[in-house]
Amino acid sequence: MGWLKTGSSKPSAGLKGVLREVLSYKSAIAGIVILLFLIGLSVYTMVTIPLPEAIQAWRSSEAWSRNPRNAQPEWIELFYGRRLPRTIKVSLGETKASEVLREDGTLSVSWVIHFNYDYDDFPSEIIVFFNSSYVEKPVVEIYWIRPDGDEILLKKHSLRRPDDRLYLSNDLGLELKLERLFESKIGKKPNFTVTVEKGLFSEYSQDPRVLKGVYGMRLEATLSKNDVLNAELVVYGTVHGLAGTDHLRRPLIIGLLWGAPIAMSFGLTTALLTTSLGLIIGTISGWYGGKIDSVIQRIVEINAVLPFLPILILLTTFYRIDLFIILLSVVVLSIFSLGIKGTRILVMQIKSYPYIEAAQAYGASNMRLILFYVIPKILPPVVPGMISSVPGFVFLEAGLSYLGLGDPFLPTWGKIISDAQTNGAFYKGMYYWVLEPAFMLILTAIAFALIGMALERIVNPKLKEL
Amino acid sequence: MNSEGRLLELEDLRKWFEIRRGFLSSKVNYVKAVDGVTFRLDEGMAMSLVGESGSGKTTLGKTIIRLYEPNGGRIIFQDRDVTHLKANDLKWYRRMTGLVQQDPFGAFASHFTIFRSLEEPLLIHNTVKSKEERAEKVFKALEEVRLTPVEDFAYKYPHMLSGGQLQRVAIARAIILEPRLLVADEPVSMLDASVRIEILTLLRRLQERLRLGVIYITHDLATTRFFSEWALIMYAGHVMEKAFTQEILRNPLHPYTRALLTATPEPNPENRNRFKQVPPGEPPALIDPPKSCRFSPRCPHAFDKCFKEEPPEFEAASGHWVKCWLYERS
Ligand SMILES: Nc1ncnc2c1ncn2[C@@H]1O[C@H](COP(=O)(O)OP(=O)(O)O)[C@@H](O)[C@H]1O
Ligand code: SF4
Ligand SMILES: [Mg+2]
Repeated sequence: MGWLKTGSSKPSAGLKGVLREVLSYKSAIAGIVILLFLIGLSVYTMVTIPLPEAIQAWRSSEAWSRNPRNAQPEWIELFYGRRLPRTIKVSLGETKASEVLREDGTLSVSWVIHFNYDYDDFPSEIIVFFNSSYVEKPVVEIYWIRPDGDEILLKKHSLRRPDDRLYLSNDLGLELKLERLFESKIGKKPNFTVTVEKGLFSEYSQDPRVLKGVYGMRLEATLSKNDVLNAELVVYGTVHGLAGTDHLRRPLIIGLLWGAPIAMSFGLTTALLTTSLGLIIGTISGWYGGKIDSVIQRIVEINAVLPFLPILILLTTFYRIDLFIILLSVVVLSIFSLGIKGTRILVMQIKSYPYIEAAQAYGASNMRLILFYVIPKILPPVVPGMISSVPGFVFLEAGLSYLGLGDPFLPTWGKIISDAQTNGAFYKGMYYWVLEPAFMLILTAIAFALIGMALERIVNPKLKEL
Repeated sequence: MNSEGRLLELEDLRKWFEIRRGFLSSKVNYVKAVDGVTFRLDEGMAMSLVGESGSGKTTLGKTIIRLYEPNGGRIIFQDRDVTHLKANDLKWYRRMTGLVQQDPFGAFASHFTIFRSLEEPLLIHNTVKSKEERAEKVFKALEEVRLTPVEDFAYKYPHMLSGGQLQRVAIARAIILEPRLLVADEPVSMLDASVRIEILTLLRRLQERLRLGVIYITHDLATTRFFSEWALIMYAGHVMEKAFTQEILRNPLHPYTRALLTATPEPNPENRNRFKQVPPGEPPALIDPPKSCRFSPRCPHAFDKCFKEEPPEFEAASGHWVKCWLYERS
């Protein structure tokens, strides 16, 4: 154990020296680059999406109503080689087409809105959101205008409430109507099930083919004088943003981004706490000996046979748990690790060195001896181990979240994977849902592992040969 | 400050190490490493503590500076009973005493520079407040032990210095708090023969100039000649003989001292054959030693009484004490 030699061995040349040595390992540079990237990402996330907002948004369903459900990330089209539909939102707004005042004082209003559709696939869903105020429930007629000029009456709808929604995709009557339309246009039953999306966006052909061009929607309603009617047509795409969305239309990017600071701070804090508390306990055990030592050693031995994970799972099932409590439980369950035995023996060895006796002779207190004479000697071999233990804790948190035992409010990587699993992501081919958080987890693990390994080799040069 | 320049007095000092036999056994045995030592050392005087390895010299030295707490007897330092000092009083005593150890290579924390090692005692006792004053003290101490130019040494790590240089630093560290008593435990036995005299001369000069009381521990009677006023011969935890160094060297009375003297390497080839007179055997085990003269198993002059009863210290000549039945005045 080279670092223990008091005399002829080379002492560490300080922090700078260590850093220079770390940078001589290519793998460590890679680790540091990844780590810096993750740190940058975390800082960016925390600044741009403050945590309370993130939590709030993550839990609310309303905030994401204009997002597609289970949409893949946009870049996925690189693999398909087709342009996949983005979500199109068009509002009636000021585009009033005509307004006729009737004799009974009511207004007959009509609007037309247009949008261009040139994607290579059909949208995933179509919803009309109303936003109105009225005295008497108005009846709205909705017409669909295809690029080929055809105009179809979609629905005659009496508003049920001011912010009513028209889920066109779920409308069986409309589906039937469109199917008949297709039959009459091509003279026989088409080869595909005419869903609302296909019925509205396909050419009249045997097989579904996207009809590209400018579509329109016309709304007609009879309103009283002071009534206001606004509506928004949302044609949901099949891709969304950088990371896609989940079953609750939430953009995964928020969970993925917030997962970084959460995973890293959880991993680092637990690693730091368990390592440093373990170090302190081991040092006390070795330094003071006697009764304290035997008590600590017994606790370590008992702790070693206690099943860590089952206890943690029990704790997290019986108590309403947040990340902080999980952290504390993990720390409490891991500080009395077997590593304490190693520390204790090192400390006992160091305690017998003449320089400790010399320091006692000039009046150094136990506290000073432990802090300035013992800890600096046993720290070097501990630091790489600490860094290397980070991934374990990151995966532990993910694992608990995956089992549904994590923090219920925070968006974490483990929780995303858990959601994906419960919603059968793999069966439905939504690989991105699992692979994205898994990639982040592995990236984090690799960063710490690479750095930890390099440090290990520096501290324990024998490993260099491996 | 104190009466008659008295610095240190030991009265029947004992240091027994407890050892338990077996895990569950409640029977306690004692290693009686220091078993009833009495002497007096005056301000500014040096005393040599001589004995074979295992005779209890180190234990006595460490007990005197209270690295060990005595099991019996008293230590009076500057008329103050320091036998069982605690906490802040003990800290004061730490400042008044210094230690130079045998192994200079192990005496320094490898992660401290020489400067930091010397600064530590000052930081602990807070004797000088400002950083500049501390640096001044450190440099002065390095000058005191002739490690000049001081800047060349202050910022080095221990592994960059030779044994002799490290021992100088150890001496500097031991005197930096301006103690009155210094225990030097075989300070040159691990050094090259070529630097031993230098280090001893340095210690002697410092002792004279700073009027330090010094207890110089050695197994080599020859080096006491030019080092100390007093000599004290230890064997198996007992003081066998004490007198002026000159007196002991000229006129050794105790059979053990005589044996030691002949064991001392002599440059003169004529004297080499005197080695043969060294009595065979080992020092006795110090675990519950018998109540007799502890040298009796090896003593060429032993007679009946020696095996039955432990001799007291007899004043064979003025100021010359011998723990041997041969000097009982009947
Ligand atoms: N901490 C200790 N515990 C038990 N026995 C000890 C301890 N220190 C020294 N001894 C024993 O005390 C005796 C005297 O040792 P020591 O003072 O080191 O002698 P010396 O310095 O003259 O060689 C030896 O028998 C040694 O084994
Ligand atoms: S008392 Fe007896 S055994 Fe002891 S040294 Fe004197 S003569 Fe020898
Ligand atoms: Mg010794």
